[in-house]
This record gives sequence, C-alpha cells and structure tokens, in this order.
Amino acid sequence: MKILVPLKRTADPDNANKVKIAPGGGKIVTDGLEPKPNPFDEYAVETALRLTENGTNPKVRLAGDSVVIVSMGPKESAATIRQALAMGADSGLVYETTDEALDGDLVARALARVVAQEKPDLVVMGKQAVDGDSNQVGQILAERLGWPSATFAMSIELSADKKSVIVGREVDGGVIKLKLTLPAVVTVDLRIVSPKSVSNNVTPATHAYQDGARYAPLPMIMAAKKKPIAEAPFASLGEQGLTTTYLRFEQPPSRKAGIKVKDVAELVQRLRSEAKVL
Amino acid sequence: MSDLFNPTPEHKTLRSTLRTFVEREVDPQALAHDREERFNHALFRKLDELGLLGLTVPAEYGGAGMDATAVAIVHEELSAADPGFALAYLAHTLLFANNLAVNGSDAQRHKYLPSISSGERIGGMCMSEPGAGTDVLGMSTTAVRRGDDYVINGAKMWITNGAVSDTELGDVFLVYVRMADAPRNKLTMFLVEKGFAGFSLGQKLKDKLGMRASTTAELVFEDCVVPASNRVGEEGDAALHMMRNLEVERLGLAAMSLGIARRCIEVMNRYASERKSFGQSLRDFGQVQRHIAESYAEYMAGRSYTYWAAANLDLTKPGNRLDSDGVKLYCATMAKNVADRAIQVLGGYGYVGEYNVERLWRDAKLLEIGGGTLEAHQKNMTRELSRTEKLL
Repeated sequence: MKILVPLKRTADPDNANKVKIAPGGGKIVTDGLEPKPNPFDEYAVETALRLTENGTNPKVRLAGDSVVIVSMGPKESAATIRQALAMGADSGLVYETTDEALDGDLVARALARVVAQEKPDLVVMGKQAVDGDSNQVGQILAERLGWPSATFAMSIELSADKKSVIVGREVDGGVIKLKLTLPAVVTVDLRIVSPKSVSNNVTPATHAYQDGARYAPLPMIMAAKKKPIAEAPFASLGEQGLTTTYLRFEQPPSRKAGIKVKDVAELVQRLRSEAKVL
Repeated sequence: MSDLFNPTPEHKTLRSTLRTFVEREVDPQALAHDREERFNHALFRKLDELGLLGLTVPAEYGGAGMDATAVAIVHEELSAADPGFALAYLAHTLLFANNLAVNGSDAQRHKYLPSISSGERIGGMCMSEPGAGTDVLGMSTTAVRRGDDYVINGAKMWITNGAVSDTELGDVFLVYVRMADAPRNKLTMFLVEKGFAGFSLGQKLKDKLGMRASTTAELVFEDCVVPASNRVGEEGDAALHMMRNLEVERLGLAAMSLGIARRCIEVMNRYASERKSFGQSLRDFGQVQRHIAESYAEYMAGRSYTYWAAANLDLTKPGNRLDSDGVKLYCATMAKNVADRAIQVLGGYGYVGEYNVERLWRDAKLLEIGGGTLEAHQKNMTRELSRTEKLL
C-alpha cells in the first residue's frame, strides 16, 4: 500500500502572534519566523506511518508499503520533507514555487497531477494549513479525482484486505464512522495522533502509541540523508492560474477589556441589553 | 554562508527535533525536579527513543556515532530548559560513554556500551576527591594489584549520577586512581560497577545551589575488588585518557551555558516588550537595552566560539585544550551574567521560579566550578599559550 502525504511548510505556528500584515494590507509578513511543517500535516505523516508499520517495530515499513511526502513551495521545503523522512517516510517530492503563487484550488489541481503520477492507494493530509486556514485542498482534490473522501478524521482503521478504511469523524453529539473504498482522500484532525486512533490490523490492538507525532530518532535522521527527494519546478505539473484573489489582509480587532458585574441580576440585564444574547 | 551552528541538514534536523522534544517533555518537568532535588529517570529513558544516549559512541556499540558539533547541539538544547537534567546526560554520554568508546578495549566496549547507549544502565565518572579537585593529580585514591584483581581504596566526591536515588548507588563508573607506588602524573582508570565488593554510596549530596535535577554523590571504595579485565588501558595511561576526554566534556559544558543564556535572553526580551513602566515599554529604557543587547552580543560571541571549537574538535585525539578550556571559561561566566541580567530586567518576577531565570542563574554558577574551575581553565590556557608566540 502506498500513501501520499502532502506537506506544507508554514511559519512557526507557535509564534503566530508575531505574524504581521504588510503596510497597505497586501500580504502577510512572516519574516524572522522559523519555517516548520504544518502541524496537521505532521499528524498526517504520523497517521501514514502508523498505517504502514507494526507499531512494535516502528522503524520499518511493512513489506510492500511506502509513504511518499510531497510539498509545493520554496526549495527549502526539501528540509521540511527531510524531517518527515527522518520520522520514517520513504521518499519526497518538491515542486518549487513561492507561496504567493499558490491558492488552495491550484494546489489541489497540482496534487491531482501528482496523484496521477504516483498512483497512491490513499492520500492522507492535514485538514488545513495553520497559516491560511483555508481548509479546502483535501476536499477539492477528492472532487477532482472523483475519489471518496472523509475530512477531520479523528480515527482511521485500515481493513485487513487493505481495500477500505473506516474513518471516524467527530460531530455534534458523537462520532460518525464512514467506510471509504480505496483509493481515497482523508484529511486529519488533532485527535488522529491519540495513542490508539490508528489501526491497521497488523499492530497489536494492545499497542498504545505515544500521544502526538513521533520524534525523529537520531539514527533515523542520519539514515534519512540517503533517502531520495526529487525536485522539479512547479510548472512541470502543467497546472497554473489562481482562482482566488486576496483583496486585503486585516488584523482582527483587539479584544475589549472585560467588565465586573455585582450580581446575577446585573449579569442577566447586561447580557440582554449590551451583549444581546438573551 | 554556511550555518556554523548547524553545519549539515542532519544537525539542523537534530536541533529542531530536540527543540520540540524539549518544549513538550523537558521544560514542563524542570521546575518540579529542581524543587524536589530529584533526577527524572523516566525522562532520561525517553532520550533512548531519540537515540541520544550513545551520542558519540560508534554504531557497532549501539551508539549514534555523532561528532562534536552534535554534542554541542544536544547539550545546548537540553540545557535551555533543564541544565540539571542536561548535566546528568553529559555525565552519562560524555564522561562515561565517550570516554570508554575512545579509551576502552574492544571487549570493554562490547561489554558496557550497548547497555549504556540504550540507557538500561546509567554511567558516570569519578575524578575529584574530598581533598583534591583542581589539583587532580593530587588524588589519593589508590589501587594495588592482587592476583587477577586490583584492590581500590579511597573516596570520590561530586560524582554526577553517583546515585540513582537518595539511597541507591549509580550503575557503572570510570574511576581514576593512582597505583600505590606510581609517580604523581601516572594515573590508571578502572570500570567499577554497582555490586563490586567494597564499592558503596557514601552519601547523596543535598542542598545544592543548582543543578538539582541531577544527582551528586560521594562514592566510597573500601578494599573494592575490581577484575584486571576492567582496567582501561595500561597502568599509568589514564592521565592521557583524562586529557583527551576533558576536551569534549568542556565543550559540552560550554554548550550547556549557551542553552542557559539563550533561554534567559528570550525571557528578558519578551518581558521587556510586555511590561510597562512610567507609561512606556520596559525595552524603551536605556538601562534595560544595555542588559538585553550586551547579553545577546556576548551570547553570540560565546556561541560562535563554541561551535567553531566544536568544528575543530576531533573526539579521538587531544590537541584542542586551549579552546576547549577557552569556550568553557568564557561561556560559563557569560551565562551566569546573562541570567543575572534577566533576573534584573524581570525584577521581582525574575526572583521567583515561574519565569525560570532564577533557576538558570543558580544552575549557571555550577559551570564556573564543575568540569574545571575557572581557575583551572586560566591555568591550562596560560600554559598552552606559553608555547605560542603568534595567534591565529
């Protein structure tokens, strides 16, 4: 089984408050912020690895299984891919371009081309990137491919015959489970990296992963040096043209200071007259 | 320009992986372990999952076979959150594992290094004594040969990882001693394990100023019987082992200073933006600007010197004494001063545990004493420089 994981390089999400808007509101400035993998994509890498290994021996993929990472962005994206290779993925693809030259629709179209070339059985990706927060690439990609898709996965179970997955999605009042016939697109949410959220009928049911994406162990960091990353210009995918025009960026209004009320009666009165929520 | 601090992509990945690990797993436990004066054994075992416990040990003995720059990276990153924990790591990885990997026999490496590289056993090294520190050759612990064994008598002091708890002896140690009749400069090194007859925990030292998340102990050798196969090298060889290994030890300690300094600068820099005084931001005051700017410049000077020294340090041979002493001499005091300024910038908040800088200030002081006092570095460097007329 082959899994393709699209990975976006984003400005350090832990320092999102340092993101500035350029004068005139024309674009977002992330100068000085360390580029890091989009956290949801990192969870997707972790998901793909868990699906293709016996959790008791996480350093090797199961026979016949592979995980390929693809990134679209600056040349330095290769370094971000290298981290995923150090976690255990097998190879990487970088299509060089700039973030400004992309929107969700174009990325989805380009990914559809990559899927046509790579022929994965499953695409696992983050539900959204933490910079643009567009939350659309997975959905558009599935539509373009004509593949079934499940978004915001909080659990995934691969069938023993590797022909389908059952994806759990958190909805109001519980979890809904969808069975998808492969090939399919799955976008993942935070809980997908809980200790028992991924099963593949190989890892023993008793096995519990550590919470979160795994750390790249030093020997694997060194071994990843020898894993292949193919680089090509974005234009080689034959897709172009943005369908989204960004008009202007604005800072959200700063939050007003709170007030203290003396009793419940005043609280109710203010909720009614000022907040207008009652 | 190449990146002095991350010369290869692998060094860079090592650093970024560690930064995430440290943020998530090391930082949250640091204050409590300092307060309780307790070593975090479970966290130490987690370093095995990252493949860090045999950092410089060749792969055939279960290690990662990394270079001096990787040594600097790991110690800097761990120390940015928890210098005490980093010190326990240093004693294990450099004082024991690297020392044995470089100076031990093949049989000794095969016997000891795999369980050390996996963290199954924790290692340490015994050099100082209750009555001999900087004057290391003044040590009085002695060994005599008796048939197939040696018998060691004496006591060792300030041994990091010497105990695993308040009452339990640490696992395995490299111990420097002198043969009973040997001249002052001829030392001999032995591998001594918990369980050897006559080897015991004298006391776990308490009430340390800093580095409280690592254990420090006095270890006692009373007619301690060590098989001859546990002698590392020949009788009288160990002064060379010591000199060879001290270089990377001092590099590691200098890198720990860098971690402390970086964290303190981050804390005071952030605070200076957030805190207002007399209607303006703290960072608008010249007095605060001096603390922040001088700290950063000194940190970068120390960092550049340390990583330059690391790039030139060959773990297998001596020859970098001047700069391995030099980086520690400079960085230890630099870190202490930076931590001091951070406390000053934060005022009352700097004086309490929550903002970490008071702990880092206490930890930083040890680096002016342990692994070579400032005075020892000054002595060594001045001696080295006496042979040099023209500098680089």
